[in-house]
This record gives sequence, structure tokens and C-alpha cells, in this order.
Amino acid sequence: MEPTVTVRGLTKRFGRKTVLDGLALELGRGVTGLLGPNGAGKTTLLRTLATTLAPDAGEVRALGLDPSDRVQRTEIRRRLGYLPQSPGHYPHFTAFELVEYVAILKEHADRRKRHREVRRVLAETGLTEQSRTKVRKLSGGMRQRLALAQALLGDPDLLVLDEPTVGLDPEQRMRFRALVSRLGESRTVLLSTHQTEDVAALCERVIVMKDGRNVFDGTPRDLAATAAGQVWLSHRPPADSQLFWRAADGRYRTLGARPQDAVPAEPGVEDGYLLLLGEAAEVAA
Amino acid sequence: MKSQWHLPGELIQRYATGRLEPVQVMSVETHLSRCAACREAVPYDEEWLATSWERIEDLVDRPSPRPAARLLHRAGVPDHLATFLAATPTPARGWLAAVGAVLTFAVTAAHLAGQDPFWAVHAVVPFLTIAPVLPLAGIALAYGPHVDPVHELQAATPMAGPRLLLLRALAVLVPAVVLTSIAAPFLPGPGRLAAAWLLPALALTAGTLALSTRVSPRLAAGGLVTAWLAALALEGGLAGHVFVFFSPAAQALYGTAAPILAVFAYRRRAHLDPGESRWNRL
Repeated sequence: MEPTVTVRGLTKRFGRKTVLDGLALELGRGVTGLLGPNGAGKTTLLRTLATTLAPDAGEVRALGLDPSDRVQRTEIRRRLGYLPQSPGHYPHFTAFELVEYVAILKEHADRRKRHREVRRVLAETGLTEQSRTKVRKLSGGMRQRLALAQALLGDPDLLVLDEPTVGLDPEQRMRFRALVSRLGESRTVLLSTHQTEDVAALCERVIVMKDGRNVFDGTPRDLAATAAGQVWLSHRPPADSQLFWRAADGRYRTLGARPQDAVPAEPGVEDGYLLLLGEAAEVAA
Repeated sequence: MKSQWHLPGELIQRYATGRLEPVQVMSVETHLSRCAACREAVPYDEEWLATSWERIEDLVDRPSPRPAARLLHRAGVPDHLATFLAATPTPARGWLAAVGAVLTFAVTAAHLAGQDPFWAVHAVVPFLTIAPVLPLAGIALAYGPHVDPVHELQAATPMAGPRLLLLRALAVLVPAVVLTSIAAPFLPGPGRLAAAWLLPALALTAGTLALSTRVSPRLAAGGLVTAWLAALALEGGLAGHVFVFFSPAAQALYGTAAPILAVFAYRRRAHLDPGESRWNRL
């Protein structure tokens, strides 16, 4: 099957800083999680795929279309749902008006169909009751759901979501996971997050970025497996400066070399991620 | 109590095809509300029913359109564009208030100056100086990542880029021109002077759009506002008045320049949004 998104040699610089450094990846149907520390280039990659930021070099194909061509770029936007990191809002609009405004920008010209679509996405995100509430009166989590609602307009083929679970409470996060996993059955969803639990629970594939490059690409299980033999539990903290923390059961979870009297633990996505990127990797080496 | 009597088939047929008098319809519907068997017997069009429900739902649920949207729709603007245009100035509500305040100040100043014989001839100068550049400020605030809180979100929609920028420019230009046109007749002095702002305003607006194909709209508007004010201040200082800028010859120049610059901006519209231009250069 042809990939939905193909990126080759993607490079972007802001001044002297290279934010994307010859990045290459391919995405197909399903939910892919993008992990990485701040400044790794996640948002820049998502903005490029959402066609709001042109790269300095490299090749991008989304839905088989070339965004450097004006007509094809517009076609990508017709089939795209995008939740930016800072979606912004007009405080004087109601929730309905804001989503309707974006629906107009997405060329939903017929009023009745547009209103039906707005009601649908508000219902999908659990905001039907708030449709007449001014945006400025909505809580942070509700605003985030409102931003997600506009991304769902028109049932897009490609969903690009930048930190979609920020500000959501645990129940809302569960609902979000259910919604996105359902969408991922027939579409391509790329989401960036700092929440490794979301990746473990939701994503079939995970890409880890560091310094503008793709340093891991595989399943969450593969990422967890990279930490095999490097995760330990002990009743006392390790003597040296390894990466460790006190777990809920009172024991110390250590990444890297085995501390004295420690027993091996089942590695998780977070362990693999931290070892891949953090100082723990150097300590373990 | 269960209903024993049922509606005759012929009556159901006449009811279903809308051939009953209102009083008979009420009677039939009273019976239908109590008799499941007769309800089953009434034929209905599923699609018609779904559409009707949707209409009712939309009627009950939809927000009432803003007054400006209603006005535009009545004037023949398509519904979605009317909603869009009416919503556009809202982010710049402060700008509309500022336009109103500036015009009120200019008109009041003209009346106060008009009472003094020495200043009477210059009474309309503040108005004529400010009115042509008001739309430029609106355009500078209409589109871009630094002035619009939802710019990033909009930039990923099919309407992003020149189309959105030009529509937004129109949405701020029209209220500015309307407000200024309302204020102008309140000025003292001859009527032709009160109307002298319009052609310079259109020329400067078209100039801003033309220049925006090279630099950002904010820079283009800022540059032209500065140039306009500097030119008027210089002429005012040298000749003691600025009316040369509003003379028939100058008006002819503005009238010629405005459409030329507008056509230039439209033909180079692909360069109006720097974000879009960078994609095109790849």
C-alpha cells in the first residue's frame, strides 16, 4: 500500500539553528506517536506536514500530493485535520461560531450541511452542551477539545495533532484515546506528545526525534524492548548518579547498570524512551 | 383506554397527501396520537422525515447570525461569505472602536477650529490627513501570524493565503470606508473637501496590497502611513497648507493609481502571503 505521508531529506533552519536535519519517514494508515524532548523538531515537522511551514530543503508528499504546488497544497488542506500546538481562539465567539468559522474556511458552503457537521464534531468531542458558551468562558480542557473538534471537520484523511492531550483530565484523555483509535482504523493519524502512556495505549507505531532527526522508528513494544536488561527495582536508591525514581510501591526504579541488590523489572515505553535519549543511556553504556 | 375505531383507508390517504381541511387534520392527528395501528398505516417518506427533522434541529440549534451577516446576506452575499466577513472584524473589534474614536476626534477638532477665523481654512486638515490611512491600519491588523490568534489554524485550511488575506482586507476596508463616509458630512466647510479623502484612501489601500507582495502587510501599511504623514507634514511646513494633496490634479492621480495598483496586487496575489510564497519557491 502506498504511504499516506512521505518525507525525504527534510531540513529546516531558524537562523543558525537546524531544527530538522535531513529527516526521512513514511506514514501509512493508523496512529503514529511522535516523541522527543523540547526542541527536537516535532512541532516543526507537524507544521510542515500541515502545510503551514515550508521547509528549506527536502521532499514532502502528503496523501500522494506535493505541497510545493499551490493547487495540490490546497487539495491537501481539504483532506487535512490539524490541531496546532497553540490553536488560539477568538474569545467573543461561541464554541459553535468558532467551529463554524473554521468550517467556512474549509469550504463548507452549504449552511445546513455545515451546521450539521459542526454539531457532529461538537458531539464527538463532548461539547454539545457548551455550543452556545463563549470560548473565553470555557475551561482549558474544553478549549483543547474545541480545537480538536475543528480538526475533525470534514472527516479528514490525514490528522496531524500537536500535543492533543494537553489540559485534558483523565476521563477526557480516555475519551480522546477511544476517538483517535477509532479514527486511526481508516485514516492516518500523527500525534506528538510528551505522554508516553498515551503512546503505549494508543499508537501502533512510535517515532522518537532528537535534534531534528529520527532516532527510533518502531512499535511501542519495540521501544520498550530497547530497555530490556536495563531496568531495575531495588529497596535502596542506587549509589551512583544513575537515572532513578521512587515508584508507587516504595521501591526505586533505576535505568542503566544494575544497582546492588536490585532485581530486573519489565521495561515500559517510558524506560526505552528515557534510555534512548537521556543521560541514562550514557551511564548504561 | 384502547381505541376501538380506526381511520378509514381513504381518510388516511387524504391525510397523507395533504388533502384534508385543518380541522380534519387536527381530528386525525388526535386519533393517531392514541392509536398505534393507525400510525402504522400512515405512509411516510423516510428521507423527507429525516430532512424535516434536520431543518427543525437546525432552526432550534443554530446561533442567530450577527447583524452584519444578516445585512450582507440580504445584500446578496452568499451565506457562508456573509458569516465569514461579519466575523472577521471581531478579532479587530478594538480597531473598529479606534476608527470611530479617531473620526470623532477629527470632526470635533474641525468644528472647534472652524470657530476661529484664523484656523477656519485648516479646519478639515486633521480629518483629511487621517481618513485616508485608516483602512491601512485595518489591513495591517487583518492577517498574519503576529496579529491573528488563530492564524496557525487558518493557515492549514483551503482558504488560507491570498484569498483569505484579500477577503479580510475587504472586510476591514468596507467598514472603515462606511464609518468615514458617515463622519464626512459632519465636517464644516464645502462638501467637496469632505469627500476629498476617498480617492487617496483607495490609492493608499491598493498601494498597501501591491507593496504586500514584496514585504509583510504590516511593513507595507506602516511604510505608506509614514510616507503619507511625512509628505503632508513637509508640505504643511513649507507651503503652510496641504491642499495640494487634495487638488483636482492630485485626485486624478489617485484615481488613476488606485486601479493600476489594485490590478498589480491581484496579478501578484500569489506573493501576498510570505508563508505561501516560501512553499511556491521549493
